[in-house]
Amino acid sequence: MKPINVMIAGIGGQGLVMTTELICQAAFLEGYEIKSNDVIGLAQRGGRVWGSVRIGEKVLSPDIPLGEGDILIGVEPLEALRWKDNMKADAKVVLNRHQVYPTNVQQEKEPYPDELIQQMLEAFDSLELDALLEARKCGNEKAANTLMIGCVSRFLPVSEENWMEAIRRTYPEKVHEVNEKAWRKGKELAEE
Amino acid sequence: MEKNNKKIMTGNQAIARGFYEAGGLVASSYPGSPTVEILESVQSYPEVDAHFSTNEKVALETAIGASFAGVRAMVSMKHVGVNIAADPLMTFTQTPVRGGFMIVSGDDPGMNSSQNEQDNRNMAKFANMAVLAPADSQEAKDYTEIALEISETYAMPVMLQITSRVCHGRCLVEVGERKEAIKEEFPRDVPSYAMIPPNTLDKQYAMKDRLERLAEGPEVEVLNRIEKEENAKTLIITTGLPYFQLKELGELDVPVAVLKLGMAYPLPKTWLQQQVENYEKILVVEEMTPFIENELKLMGIPCKGKEYFPFTGELSQEVLSNGLRKAGLLKENAEKEVEASAEDTSVTPRPPLFCAGCPHRPVFDILKKSKVMVNNDIGCYSMGLFPPFEASHSLISMGATIGISSGMLKANRKAGRDIPLVSVIGDGTFFHSGMPGMVNLLNHLHPEDNLTILILDNGTTAMTGGQKNASTGKRLPEKEKHVEITQLVEAMGIEDVQTLDQFQYKKTSETVKKAIATPGLSVLVMTRPCALHFKIKEPVYHVDPEVCIGCRTCIKTNCPPLRMKGYEGQEKMKSSIDPAMCVGCSICAQVCPVDAIKRREGGEQNETN
Repeated sequence: MKPINVMIAGIGGQGLVMTTELICQAAFLEGYEIKSNDVIGLAQRGGRVWGSVRIGEKVLSPDIPLGEGDILIGVEPLEALRWKDNMKADAKVVLNRHQVYPTNVQQEKEPYPDELIQQMLEAFDSLELDALLEARKCGNEKAANTLMIGCVSRFLPVSEENWMEAIRRTYPEKVHEVNEKAWRKGKELAEE
Repeated sequence: MEKNNKKIMTGNQAIARGFYEAGGLVASSYPGSPTVEILESVQSYPEVDAHFSTNEKVALETAIGASFAGVRAMVSMKHVGVNIAADPLMTFTQTPVRGGFMIVSGDDPGMNSSQNEQDNRNMAKFANMAVLAPADSQEAKDYTEIALEISETYAMPVMLQITSRVCHGRCLVEVGERKEAIKEEFPRDVPSYAMIPPNTLDKQYAMKDRLERLAEGPEVEVLNRIEKEENAKTLIITTGLPYFQLKELGELDVPVAVLKLGMAYPLPKTWLQQQVENYEKILVVEEMTPFIENELKLMGIPCKGKEYFPFTGELSQEVLSNGLRKAGLLKENAEKEVEASAEDTSVTPRPPLFCAGCPHRPVFDILKKSKVMVNNDIGCYSMGLFPPFEASHSLISMGATIGISSGMLKANRKAGRDIPLVSVIGDGTFFHSGMPGMVNLLNHLHPEDNLTILILDNGTTAMTGGQKNASTGKRLPEKEKHVEITQLVEAMGIEDVQTLDQFQYKKTSETVKKAIATPGLSVLVMTRPCALHFKIKEPVYHVDPEVCIGCRTCIKTNCPPLRMKGYEGQEKMKSSIDPAMCVGCSICAQVCPVDAIKRREGGEQNETN
């Protein structure tokens, strides 16, 4: 089995490190080996953050080989766009529609790349949604990333039971229920 | 979380676990990326005393004291922290170490979050100590335990050199039980532990001797290994994460054997000479400086490395494959380089920015408008260098701003220039190493020298995740012991010391501008706490598009919820505020020239940020 390569892209403050941790836990519970990485820049908030998780029977490097990404979880659209070239042609993409402007866009030096993002969505097997809104409906918009994992869960070799257990191991108790709910909601939305 | 005694851990967590299992009792640190999480993880083991110190030097001294007292000690810091700690380290290393002593250096090839890229294997060699370099979390844990053993066996401090990716990367780690390892109390042995001449003379020989013994010791075959390959005429010698990057590339077009060094210094000369015997070509794959390459050459082992691989940045699989192509080990696309990264670099960059409600925002907005020369220090306020503020002119190292401004004032005075200067420094950095610069001003400044020092006292070491510092206590609900910066500065003989709430924008602006216009030294202490760690719970703001004139004064404060947008019935773009991100700090409303930004009626609070 070649490793399954998951790429996560977003910005500081969106909880990406916990999200990679959650995927790692789930794959581990299922009996796989994992390696992951989070690349975090200078500050706590606002800058770009990206991570990779590799799931398989044997994983060597935590970094995804060039162009070998299977799943892209875009917590912010422009950040997902950065990594499109690292994805396989048949990769699955789930994208949170909620845009956060980088400084250049806020200061009107550059437009937000809506068209390029649209092209990326068309190039892959994609699902675009307002993950914040959907998560809010489940009880807390902070569960948005878990909801997006739910969306791509059918492409990952982990049982629902182990996803639920992984949620319980990764997050504090008070948010277990909302994350479980968000994961199921994501799965449901992807099936529609 | 256990399954067959395995847990998922980052490299940082694994070091903490290794220290715990090895019976470690005292852990110290100064927070710095990429190693912040080590001490925070150790804090989850109540058996261990784990506290952040005021700076890396004090952290290292704390670990020295613990080691003297016969317990296993660890001090962790980012690579540049070792510079701060180098003074005690370079002398302590001469003593016969008692309790196992490990210093963790978080190196940052590629400088994702650092002001330089220094390869601290060179520092360790300089300090006559061994260096272990883990390639993943499992090794990070194993090497921690081995490092403490080596430290006690050879009576030497040991460095664990770990790079950012290994710090933050996760893999499965086998965990075990803790074993206590306490030695008898510190003896009075002045020749060994008081480093004053002539006690130090013998120590030079002792340091040389212990490294030579380690290079021949049984640890060599535990930490280093060779993976032979039939018919291989080429041997690749590698260390750290590049080992896994190399393995990931799979079979090369030419058969190669791989020698992985877990111990980057001292290199085991006898063992290595045996291993390299049958190979025609030796290639060294290592990040940053040609450290191993040079060591091999000093031993008379001919090899190549930096001829093919870059001397800076990370050795990603892509960068590595380009080097292997140049070296003739990969033939496919031999003439062309692959992209150094999978990232599409044409997408607009996203530098970090001040959080919504960040107390640094009004300060840099005011400094920008003041068009004054600013020497910056290290902290979240480093972002004042970036657009749209671009207020600061220099940034060198922790605590450096006051000394730099002082020297600049002297130079300008002698050169006949009259240029007001501003130094900006945070509370944590001030305690870390800014205070000596402040004390040094005594009797150095002339009355006509114009220096304004802004101390941004946000009550926390914010950039690394909000660790406590000496200023935090007064802001906690149950007040703890703390240092009052204003009193401290006054005690240093400085007369013009004022405190300001920078969320009173107009008053702050007037005070800063007045200080800049007035010769002499002014210290302004800004007292608003970090918005991320002391949350603002105020009603959010909104823009009235009827009143907004589209001047973008608010937009230029770079607050994340602000953006220009089109409104129905409005010809021009007008400002807007995303209520989900606004925390109600009011700065945008205060800079607005036409009062178009107002509090939301009904006082709805945003609790999600």
